[in-house]
Amino acid sequence: MVAFVLVAAGVVWRRSYGIAQSREIRVLDRERTQLVAERAKLESEIRALAGRGRLAEVAEQRLHMHVPNDSQVVIIPRPARADAAR
Amino acid sequence: MPTPHVSRIGIIHIALASFAAALLVRAGHVQLWQGRLWADRAARQHVTAAEVPAPRGDILDARELPLVQSRELVKLSVAPREVKDRGALAKALAKAGVPAPWVRRATDVKRVWVTLPGRYLPTDVAGLVATRGVYAVAVGERVTTTSEGTRRIVGRVDGDGAPVDGVELALDTFLRGVKGAAAVVRDARGRSFESPTAPGVAARAGNTVVLTINSALQEIAERALGEAAERMGAEGGDVVVLDPHTGAVLAMASRRPGRTSAATALTEPFEPGSTLKPFIAAALLAGGRARVDEVVNTHDGEWNYRGRRITDSHKASRMSLAEVIHQSSNIGIVQFAERLSPREEFETLRDLGFGMPTGVPYPSEAAGVLKPPGAWSAPTAASMAMGYEVTVTPLQLATAYAAIANGGELLEPALVKEVRSPDGRPLFKHRRRVVRRVMTPELAAQMRELLVGTVERGTAVDADLATFDVAGKTGTARRTAPGRGYVAKAYTASFVGLFPAQEPQFVILVKLDNPQGAYYGGKTAAPVSKVVLEAAIAARDAALDRTALARHERPRSRLSPDSAAAHSASGTERLARAQSAAAEPAIVPAPAPKAATPRGPVVLSLAHLPKAKPRVTTLQAVPEVRGLPIRTAVRTLHGAGFRVQLAQGYAPTADATAPAAGALARPGAVVRLSRQR
Repeated sequence: MVAFVLVAAGVVWRRSYGIAQSREIRVLDRERTQLVAERAKLESEIRALAGRGRLAEVAEQRLHMHVPNDSQVVIIPRPARADAAR
Repeated sequence: MPTPHVSRIGIIHIALASFAAALLVRAGHVQLWQGRLWADRAARQHVTAAEVPAPRGDILDARELPLVQSRELVKLSVAPREVKDRGALAKALAKAGVPAPWVRRATDVKRVWVTLPGRYLPTDVAGLVATRGVYAVAVGERVTTTSEGTRRIVGRVDGDGAPVDGVELALDTFLRGVKGAAAVVRDARGRSFESPTAPGVAARAGNTVVLTINSALQEIAERALGEAAERMGAEGGDVVVLDPHTGAVLAMASRRPGRTSAATALTEPFEPGSTLKPFIAAALLAGGRARVDEVVNTHDGEWNYRGRRITDSHKASRMSLAEVIHQSSNIGIVQFAERLSPREEFETLRDLGFGMPTGVPYPSEAAGVLKPPGAWSAPTAASMAMGYEVTVTPLQLATAYAAIANGGELLEPALVKEVRSPDGRPLFKHRRRVVRRVMTPELAAQMRELLVGTVERGTAVDADLATFDVAGKTGTARRTAPGRGYVAKAYTASFVGLFPAQEPQFVILVKLDNPQGAYYGGKTAAPVSKVVLEAAIAARDAALDRTALARHERPRSRLSPDSAAAHSASGTERLARAQSAAAEPAIVPAPAPKAATPRGPVVLSLAHLPKAKPRVTTLQAVPEVRGLPIRTAVRTLHGAGFRVQLAQGYAPTADATAPAAGALARPGAVVRLSRQR
């Protein structure tokens, strides 16, 4: 009888522990989902804020910069030695 | 022999034993024989299967930067009659940001079921979901880039995650993934949680789609298009940038006020006007029906052809085929096109891909209209030579010009570079696909040379760059309205350019719908192309091969003033005649220019050693005129050899120039004077 009670108690404890762990996993999974969702949104906002569409406007209006025309862009030749080394 | 006597107690014992045996047999039957059946039934009562949504695959640009990503949110529903503490629920809903009218509905016991608007982060509503009577369903949300043009390309999904249009719809089978299943157990309080023992099936995320779009170039194109459309009061427009060697669509910007869906560069065909003339010329040259120096009578710009009045903006008595292309002469091209039979003219345009979809994965891509000769009327041949009675999409036209750029091969344009499974395994990779050869490499080179002339001394001088050659062709076509035919003073202005002309890396098409004021393609669309190319050259990541580009850079040394003046006179004079309708301020003859204060170069990039070929060029620094009275500023700029355009609105002094002070530009180039924003 004692053995039966001990075995039964062990089975109940094991099941209760499993359920508690399952609930914990669910909570953590929900947090992960939320963090992933927030990360996606934040990354999207970072891309928008760091994008040319916004930065160019700010640079022109606040810093009085401008997009250089082609004559203001200098393409510096790469030394031939570096080419050969690659 | 005595008969066996069975006592009553014995009968009872037998009966009890039989009953016990029957119980044992039944128990054995239930436990051993039917055990699985009853276990399943019990599981069905305690465990319910829940669908696990599969996240849609990401959509990336050519540099692997995310354009669209998925994230999981929850949608809430409330059964008001199941809720015990409605006051607490109302507070919790309000805290989660649910609008007050919906909070009232959700706590109204007259209602059986209320689905709340909006989507919520799972943790934000975790407390709510634990409340009896509140039900949550996981839904996917697409986080899309802010670029409008990109959104038009990638398309949308509806509230249930079903694709609506764009790449989302065309490639839904790749993107949607496979839903999973989870076993959910309810505890004594009715709370549900995923079963720790019953196995679930994990959802499989959708595949990743990598587009050929370069997001940096896309932003450049969108910005240039937006600014130009606003400045010119255009109803809309499109910009397409294509890699002529692979067919990859690098950028595709579209603008239609009031409409934010559909990449109209794929879905809305238009009459291309003069941008079709080079293909007629190519057919004539390929068949030996004309030479580039062959001259026809262009009737001083007005000609009556079969009862129809044909006019030219650039009026001349005679023009060679080359000049017909440079000056976009309608009279000239109609006379040359008469040497082609209707079948030849039709087959020329058909072989270039007009009249059929290009095959890019985009729903509702338009085919355009190319009538077979049997459906032609008397003036159709002449109309088609001028780019009328045929409609093309911007992408079709850019693809046809790509054949000129790449040596004569018509390529299948590509919007999708790669499709990968969630574990990174490639499922599809774009490979260059040649549809057909439409001209020989020699003819393609000859056509590029012709188109360089259009930019250097023809109708497209405003597309020219200071340090690189650009080839291209302008188009200005009258617009139609449903049921009204051609509408007065309504035009589609366009320009298709090849950059750099010697070894094109970009085919760029700019189309503006109904620009106000100076409506010619050379005055409206061509400068937009220049803005895009300048920004692309300055950007580090705009899909340009700088090593190859450096090989075609013009030497920056200045030439003698004589040659500069000669070059300037030729380009400016012809432009002034061709674009007489364009509003230009009167320029007063000027004294010597104020000393320029050139700025240093602002962008440095590495490339292989350019093998600069000697080329005659004339570059002049734009003088600094900031703070000068407007009249003095105009004189100074004119004295430096530039044409001057004033921005709208009166300003007593000059604040800024475009190109900026110190920039090198060709004499004769337009410098815009504007007030500082």
